Order: sequence, then structure tokens, then C-alpha cells
Amino acid sequence: MFPTRSLILTLAATLTCTQALADAAGDVQVTTPYARQVPPGAVASAAFMELNNRGHEDHALVAAASPAAEVVELHEHVMKDGMMQMRPVPRIGIPAGATTRLQPGGYHVMLIHLRQDLASGQTVPLTLTFEDGSKKAVEAPVRRIGAMTKKMH
Amino acid sequence: MKKYLPYLLIPALAGLVAVLWQWHPGDPLRLAGKPRGGDFTLQSARGPVSLHDLRGRVALIYFGYTSCPDICPTNLAQIGAALKRLTPQERRNVAVLFVSVDPERDTPQKLARYTAFFDPAMIGLTGTPAQVAEVAHRYGASYRKVKSDSALGYLVDHSAFTYVVDGRGRLCETLPHAAPIDQILGAIRRCH
Ligand SMILES: [Cu+2]
Repeated sequence: MFPTRSLILTLAATLTCTQALADAAGDVQVTTPYARQVPPGAVASAAFMELNNRGHEDHALVAAASPAAEVVELHEHVMKDGMMQMRPVPRIGIPAGATTRLQPGGYHVMLIHLRQDLASGQTVPLTLTFEDGSKKAVEAPVRRIGAMTKKMH
Repeated sequence: MKKYLPYLLIPALAGLVAVLWQWHPGDPLRLAGKPRGGDFTLQSARGPVSLHDLRGRVALIYFGYTSCPDICPTNLAQIGAALKRLTPQERRNVAVLFVSVDPERDTPQKLARYTAFFDPAMIGLTGTPAQVAEVAHRYGASYRKVKSDSALGYLVDHSAFTYVVDGRGRLCETLPHAAPIDQILGAIRRCH
């Protein structure tokens, strides 16, 4: 009786582990990525996207890289003391079953010291690194943002 | 009472730490007072520009900086899009001023390239840190330099309002961050 029970436990544990083997790069679906077209000569731009975690585990974005910029950081905007504060963040959480939005006025992938001006029609390659070490390549088209007739928040 | 003392002390200490953390001596920390607005002269790539030079026109004044990748472009793009909706006659009677709250890094030339992207007639302005601080204070714009580990160097926290000044140079309306185009158009027409 006892060995059987142990076997079942082992099996159950194995199954759980197999589930756990699904990595962030597999679980997280990236939709509508884009990089913001900024004025020529601008030192920085930002990339936005939606990160949809379809897995059963929480994940987090911890780094990003791109050949389009010398440095890439993860940032957020917070409205505090009546001022917009932009700050680097060490991680952007993507809870299981949830969608985390990187969008204007909030989280963004900050592209610093652009190697060239970002023109409409171009694509910015991004490599996202998740907390579990897995990586995902994303192509973010450059978009000129403007003209919102309605409030976006 | 003694039992509850730690519960009172901890938030008080946390508050003190937060205040000290935010406090940078010498930085132009200005929390918005009652804005008075008024005339000023600052530098553009084409020489000095005074608000009184624009008399008769509605002026939209935004305080920002060119290393700002998101908040400033959002507001300037909204303003640029609103200008396109004006009739040519209305358009001639509107001026847009982008005042840098990062005068140490934003030169008039850099500002000119930046503003031209949003609208060819937008004027980028800067001055000495003291001049900019004085103008910002009068309009109720707040900003501060913040040390950071970012590769950008220091960051600039800033309020994101657009000040609408009427044809007689009086502060007429204040628009919030990312105001919809219709709201910008309404303010321009009301302040005319
Ligand atoms: Cu940023």
C-alpha cells in the first residue's frame, strides 16, 4: 500500500514539475508591440506592448535589449505630487492568467541613446528577458503616435 | 498608549524618510501655487521670444524636456493634431511654446528640432535655470531634477499641464495631461 501511495505522489510531483517546466517565453504572449517615433535627434524613445501570461505561473519581465539603442531599460511612469515621474524598475510582473500592459503614461521599454532616428515603417528588434532566464524576440514597428480624440486612460 | 506607540512612530519615521529621500537641496522644487502667469522672455533658436510679442494670439505653453520619450510627445502630438483642425485664420492666431525644464541639456537648437516634429510653428524656449524656474513658478508648473541610475543621467519629474494664455497675455485655462483634441480646441476658442 505504502509504495503505491509513494508512487502516486511521485507521479503527481512529476506532473507538477512538467507543468512548471513551461517557461515564461512560452507562457507569455506578446501582442501589439510598437516603438514610438520621436523627433529626429531625440536621445530616447519608448516601446510598448501587451504581455499576456497564459500559463499557470507568475512571470516577470526583468530586462530588454535592442540593437536600436545603446542602453535599454525598463521604466514606469507614476503621477505623484502633481508631477509625472519616470523611474527605472527592476521588474515588471506578469501574473498567471493576466495581461500586463506597457503603454503610454505607464510601463515602457526605454530605448536610450538611439543609434539612429526611428522612422515610420521601420521595425525595432527587441529581446525580452524574463525572470526565469528565458528570452523572447519581438519585432516592434515604429509608430507615430498622435491624435487621440478621446481620453485614453 | 505605550502599546500603540510603535504603530504611530513607524509611519511617522517612514514619512520623514520619504521626505528626506525626495529632498534635493538646490533643486527647483516648486509645488504649484496659485498661478499668475504673465509676461516673460526666453531664448529660442531664432533669438529671444517674449510672450508680449504674441499679443493678439492665443498661446499654448507646455513645460517639458526633450529626453522625455512619452509624456511630452503625447501632449505635443495632441496639440499638433488640434492645430490641424483649426481653420487657417484661427491657426494664425495661435502660438505654441514648449519651455524646457531641463535648460542644462536642452539647447535652443535641440529644442527647435524637437518641436518642429510636432508642428513647424511650435517654438522651443529655454533660459538660465533661474529664468526657467521663475517662469514655471508663475504659471504653476512644477518640476525637479532627480538623480537616477538610468543611462539617461538625471531624470526630470514635471507636471504635464498646458497653459492657455489669451490674446491679452492673461492665463485663461489649464489643460490636463493628454487632453483630448476637442478639449484643446474648446480652450483655444474660449480663450481667443
Ligand atoms: Cu522611460
